[in-house]
Amino acid sequence: MHTKLMSLSQATDFIKDDMLLAMGGNAMHRNPVLFALALSQKPLKNLKMCAAAPGIATDIMMPQSDTVYFGFFGLENEAGLAPGMRKGMEGDAKVKAIEGS
Amino acid sequence: MPVAGMWGSDLVAQRPEFYQIMKSPFDGTEVVCVKALVPDYAIIHVQEADIFGNCRILGPSYQDALLARAAKKTIITTERIVGTYRMQEEPKLTAIPHFLVEAVVEMPGGAKPGICYPEYLAVDWAEHKAYQKAVKAGEVPQYAGKMLEGRL
Repeated sequence: MHTKLMSLSQATDFIKDDMLLAMGGNAMHRNPVLFALALSQKPLKNLKMCAAAPGIATDIMMPQSDTVYFGFFGLENEAGLAPGMRKGMEGDAKVKAIEGS
Repeated sequence: MPVAGMWGSDLVAQRPEFYQIMKSPFDGTEVVCVKALVPDYAIIHVQEADIFGNCRILGPSYQDALLARAAKKTIITTERIVGTYRMQEEPKLTAIPHFLVEAVVEMPGGAKPGICYPEYLAVDWAEHKAYQKAVKAGEVPQYAGKMLEGRL
């Protein structure tokens, strides 16, 4: 085993255009939110996202994504609908929703 | 890949790009097959990881152990770095083993403004409202800048 410890900016450098990313957690629970926020500052495009119940981390990635595979995509309770998802998918928006459950 | 469920769901007909019915090569019975997704990266926030990438998830694990196994590589952010002795004490509690992991980032509060049991048990509503406003205004990178100050 060798150490894989690194900074947030070093780890986000692994992510490139067009990649398929799976965000862990569920809705408002245990999402890699700060990692997603760090990605939001990069000029990434055409990302594909997937999760059973994507939440806030996937929501943050919507402006840089073109496809999301999901079972249920939303936040929960008072947090309501996922605002980035709505902006990305409603009307003439560009993110393709592939609902699979 | 074949799945045992899905019979009776309209999704099989509605999502042909995702579901297909095939005949089993063993006995000719019909089997629902689902398109296998292979993420380039799974990105998972955990409560405890060692520097090698062995991870423990406290509380609900959702699909995260499966995501790490489905993906080509996994990036971990963790509330804290622990000694490998934690995994050696109770090996069965290692949800994600080191060989699936490419990067470990120590990131306390990494799931905020969301919840990370048992570290923080409620949504930070002020920050969440700020996020919702940022989405509407198209200012998520600016919101990110504030949340990430000193953390990159």
